[in-house]
Amino acid sequence: MSAEEVALPDLDPVIHAPARLRLMAGLAVLGDDDRLAFPRLQELQGLTAGNLGAHLRKLEDAGYVAVEKTHRGRTPATYVSLTRRGRRALEDHTAALRALLEPVTARTPSGDASRGASADSPGGLA
Amino acid sequence: MNASAPRSPRATDDDAPLDPREALAVLESERSRTQRQLEPDVRLIYGVWGATWLVGFLVLWASSTGRGPLVLPPPAAGSTFAALMAVAVVVTGVHSTRRMAGLRGTSSTQGAMYGWAWLLGFGCVAALFTSAAGAGASAEVMGVLAPALSGLVVGLLYLAGGAMWQDRAQYALGAWILVTSAAGAIAGYPANHLVMGLLGGGGFLVAAVVVAVRGRSA
Repeated sequence: MSAEEVALPDLDPVIHAPARLRLMAGLAVLGDDDRLAFPRLQELQGLTAGNLGAHLRKLEDAGYVAVEKTHRGRTPATYVSLTRRGRRALEDHTAALRALLEPVTARTPSGDASRGASADSPGGLA
Repeated sequence: MNASAPRSPRATDDDAPLDPREALAVLESERSRTQRQLEPDVRLIYGVWGATWLVGFLVLWASSTGRGPLVLPPPAAGSTFAALMAVAVVVTGVHSTRRMAGLRGTSSTQGAMYGWAWLLGFGCVAALFTSAAGAGASAEVMGVLAPALSGLVVGLLYLAGGAMWQDRAQYALGAWILVTSAAGAIAGYPANHLVMGLLGGGGFLVAAVVVAVRGRSA
């Protein structure tokens, strides 16, 4: 259990919550200069406006997303994008997740053993 | 293993962390799902245009040669062709606009510029037809010019789209449409309608199947 616990600090708690992980993964698809309107993001993520707003605020506080409030004609519009820092954080997080799995699979030649080992890790993470 | 864990990682609670394997799977599936939702489904677009070309050009060919299962009088064949084209234009436009909705930035500018290229290209083709007809071009000349010029615009725009989005299937389709249009022009009127229907429409349908099969295996 020590291997997993030592690696734990690498997992970013801001990203690791499932809803925000999904949100970051979805936003990472956008090109560097692309932004997505709040209602479209809401539709893609299947979240309520309140829920999405709350998650975005946490990500914005961490500097991972940029929330731009603007106007289209007279109607206010909100556009969301991943910041450079957010993209980097997601890459680091992905690498940390892979690293958590790698020692386990490298140590155990058989698939069964690695599955058993990974079943242990949730306890360590929670 | 850790009895003090407050929550099961598999709980649907938003704040419950996932185990690394699940988290990586979520990242991957969310990425590909969002990617698919933000770009037009080319299977739909190629499928609609394939069916339109196949049926539309075969109806024209049947009406001018009197062969085939459905021989309409020329005015009815012409309006059937125009109606099919109009439906395909609307389906393509509405679908692409919906998929790109809410996007701002480079991708949406690229998409809009590309969309306008189609409108400008076909606006120019329409002007050429009108002018050629006004200058006394015969029905036979018009019959060769119309599909060939339209095919030229379609082929070139697919080449451009394929190059811009690094989409080999789209590039290949563009090349195929150009070859088909040239072959049709050489075959002459009204055989060119048969060529455009079978090879052009067929090419679109093959492209739709290729993209569908590739998407499933990816």
